Amino acid sequence: MRVPLALIAGLAVVPAAAHDLRVFAFVEGETVNVEAKFSTGRLPVRGEVRVLDASETLIETHEIDPDGVTSFPLVPGARDEGLMIEVEIGDDGHSDYWLLTPEDIARGQDGS
Amino acid sequence: MKHLASTALSLALTAAPAAAHYGMIIPSDNMVSQEDGRSVDLTLSFSHPFEGRGMVLEMPAAFTVTHEGEETSLLDQLSETEVMGEPGYEMTYDLARPGTYVFAMTPEPYWEPEEDAFITHYTKTYVSTYGDDEGWDTELGLKTEIVPLSKPFALWSGNVFQGIVKLDGEAVPNAEVEVEYYDEEGDAEAPSDLMITQTIKADENGVFTYAVPTSGWWGFAALNTAEEPMRHEGEDKAHELGAVIWVHFEEWDD
Repeated sequence: MRVPLALIAGLAVVPAAAHDLRVFAFVEGETVNVEAKFSTGRLPVRGEVRVLDASETLIETHEIDPDGVTSFPLVPGARDEGLMIEVEIGDDGHSDYWLLTPEDIARGQDGS
Repeated sequence: MKHLASTALSLALTAAPAAAHYGMIIPSDNMVSQEDGRSVDLTLSFSHPFEGRGMVLEMPAAFTVTHEGEETSLLDQLSETEVMGEPGYEMTYDLARPGTYVFAMTPEPYWEPEEDAFITHYTKTYVSTYGDDEGWDTELGLKTEIVPLSKPFALWSGNVFQGIVKLDGEAVPNAEVEVEYYDEEGDAEAPSDLMITQTIKADENGVFTYAVPTSGWWGFAALNTAEEPMRHEGEDKAHELGAVIWVHFEEWDD
């Protein structure tokens, strides 16, 4: 099952501005890896990673790893519905998201 | 009689080819967002892009993708197709990560009897994925190459495109660059053959600048002649080396 399109459409209007944040997430086996960087290439030194399910319910949060990649175990059941990964940096409005679709998760788990 | 003769002459001249040959790599999208999917379709051809006339593209000598400094051959993933009525190639490429993917084709030298010369167009295009433009100025190190000074995507119609013409890694002063629009819809009209393929020259540092008048795909071909001729039927023939880059310009919509 795909993540609802409404969820995608709602988040797709997040504006991208100078020094914008760029977020990418991928799955390796049972681990989710979240990469965050500014458009300048610099890595954020602090911030929060929020993990939401397909119905936009917050499942868990993580402190961002200043090395640029934040890793945590794949949420059980995520393969069926997908996950929304949001990253917010500080209080100045830098935020972005990555939609981990069921296909993304399956690819990362199966190597397919 | 004079009128009929001049009409016949006019018709004969109308049919004469006026535009330039272009190696072409046209992706289905050159700024792939995460909402667009996780892959891009690529179409390879050898064509007259403004006039929509195809030519035969043999299986290229090389077709690669470069991302984050890593080059991968895609030659064995090409399948035959038809482009503008002539043989070409196509494939779908999975885009695993953010950044800029550079697709590059080195065709086999093409014997052009009308020009009494061989033609090899080193052709490339840049695809940005998932909102990340890192690597947009990648230089591949091709035999001849246009290295972009303008980001080769995320351009409005009316923007200028700038690049450096290089041959064997060195800038080519005063290089000649042909520019042509890919008329996908077949509805563009040129008041003169001189405006089907426009020709500009680079400056003393090999830098050229061109402002496009409309959105769509534009091909830039910097042409040089190889020092070494090629043999054809026992004779030395000139070998044209083209550095071709395909750039898409977006329509300004206010």
